[in-house]
Amino acid sequence: MKNRGKDMGRREFLKKMGATATALGAGAVLIQAGDLVQAATPPKKYGMVIDTNRCIGCHGCTIACKSENNVPEGVFRSWVLQITKGKYPHVKNHLLPRLCNNCEDAPCLNDCPTGATYRTPEDGVVHVNRDICVGCHTCVLACPYNSRFINPLTGTADKCDFCYHRITKGLKPACVDACTGKARIFGDMNDPRSEVSLYLSKYPVQGLRTYLDTKPKVHYVYADEAIIDLDYSFLSRRKS
Amino acid sequence: MNDSIQWISWVKHGVVFGYLIAMYMFLISMAVGAHLVTLFAKAYYRDEDFLPLQKVGTFLPLLILLLMPLLLAVDMTHPERSFTMYYHWNWTATVAWGAYIMPLCVICYAFHSFYLFRPEMMVAVREGRPGSQLYRVLLRDKIEEGTAAEIRQRQQKAERLWANLSIVFSFLALIYVGMRLASFKGRVMVHSLVMVFMFISMAASSGAAFMILLGRLKTAIAPPPGPALAKQNRFLADFGVILKFALVAQLVIWIIYLIQLNFTGTGGKLAAYIFLSGPRSFYFWAFQVVIGLLAPLALVLFASLRQDVRASAAAAVATMLGAFFAVADLSIGSQLIPMTHLEWETLASEPLKMAFGIIIMVILFLLFLASYKILPYETPVSQKSEA
Repeated sequence: MKNRGKDMGRREFLKKMGATATALGAGAVLIQAGDLVQAATPPKKYGMVIDTNRCIGCHGCTIACKSENNVPEGVFRSWVLQITKGKYPHVKNHLLPRLCNNCEDAPCLNDCPTGATYRTPEDGVVHVNRDICVGCHTCVLACPYNSRFINPLTGTADKCDFCYHRITKGLKPACVDACTGKARIFGDMNDPRSEVSLYLSKYPVQGLRTYLDTKPKVHYVYADEAIIDLDYSFLSRRKS
Repeated sequence: MNDSIQWISWVKHGVVFGYLIAMYMFLISMAVGAHLVTLFAKAYYRDEDFLPLQKVGTFLPLLILLLMPLLLAVDMTHPERSFTMYYHWNWTATVAWGAYIMPLCVICYAFHSFYLFRPEMMVAVREGRPGSQLYRVLLRDKIEEGTAAEIRQRQQKAERLWANLSIVFSFLALIYVGMRLASFKGRVMVHSLVMVFMFISMAASSGAAFMILLGRLKTAIAPPPGPALAKQNRFLADFGVILKFALVAQLVIWIIYLIQLNFTGTGGKLAAYIFLSGPRSFYFWAFQVVIGLLAPLALVLFASLRQDVRASAAAAVATMLGAFFAVADLSIGSQLIPMTHLEWETLASEPLKMAFGIIIMVILFLLFLASYKILPYETPVSQKSEA
């Protein structure tokens, strides 16, 4: 019986190997380029603007999120930071509602070893696939906003996904619906007529740790610098 | 400005990578470091009597790397899904690269160990020495003729191939552990390429320390015949020289790192503060600087001390302790800086995980000792090359 392997010369073998590698490489580049094009121009870009002037600190969003998404005790998908600034009688109260920023360049997504963290290309929302998450904690550490946690019930990474089960049905996220002061404005940032786009064009907006270039999709309006841009030197001046 | 600020409500997020992960990274760097130090020393000496130490520096790191995934598995909440990483691979994630690098590193070490022990195992089978049944299985009943030196000469090509591959994967493993920390964008303390150099320097120091300690143990438990003992003691004393320079390199890199932190904004200054007088300062000064750096440096500074068994063993243990706390301080310290409020994050006690880590260390140590009795580390005088 003829041995085909032995018939093939070194030159021919290298040629075939080269052709296969080139085809594979070109395929990979095309797939990546396709993904990039899709990511660059998603049909929708869900985002949120939080007007901190309207927040009254009722924690209604925290409760609504917990009950809507069955978030266990001790962990939060959405919460509200509260500080007071100044000395009596000149004291001001500042609030900062927090949630996952669903960043356009999400470090958690880049650091997830299994791809359990993924982005839906049609709207840019970042999700966690509970079926393949190994619970390695890497994304929890990678998130520069501490928006992630390991859900004690499922043992997998968890975070806010803008109540995806609601927004895909045309509803608003639970926290937006529950907000007493209407401080949370949610919508498609690619739609120039949406409430969120109008708000973004009308007010100067701030973001959390923007210097990291993660492109967060949760924006703040009128947030005090003491709460949005933490002065860490305070910690080194205080006894640990 | 901040003195007038009172925090009313916030959420604490805690520390997610605890001592178990620090132990994982430390043991990888030590194992890989021991292997690299041994390989480079072998290339320098080119002496037959160095072979038993080369076996120590290849087989024992293999055992460490084989047991390390257990530490990761205990830290994961769904370890049964870890195979997902192989077919659902995310190329931008450091851990995903590690999932390939570490097993390939283990394969290289395993083949390299096999070729190192192979000639002595063949001789033992031919002479019917204790353990020959096990060796026969390992050799798949293919027993060659000739002395151990002659067999080694014949298999030189394969041995060299696996040695070279293991060097490549050892460096990749060190880059992996360094980048694993450096990839965390929001953590100013570790988000730097210095981490890779830090792990390389710690690998050199803890690897040399490992070789001194485990080499001394080997010569005590399975002493080499005749004049080889004196030679091995000299090699072990020379590992002290490597340790000395590795400690100096470690010191230099840490100084550069702390200076760099001081020029990295408020976050960087806070990170430096954590080491120097903040929540990790006790571990930093006591374990890293005094026990892990200055004490071993003093103990290996002079030739007479390097030749002393007790002094060199004490230096080795102190270096390992220092390297472990260096990794722990970096890994845990980086998570102490809060990102959404102004309270230090806290590390919850993990008694079960800690107990598991200690059990793994004890098992490893027992395996090391058992291997000295089971495997043929020494080449009989009659089997050495005539030259």
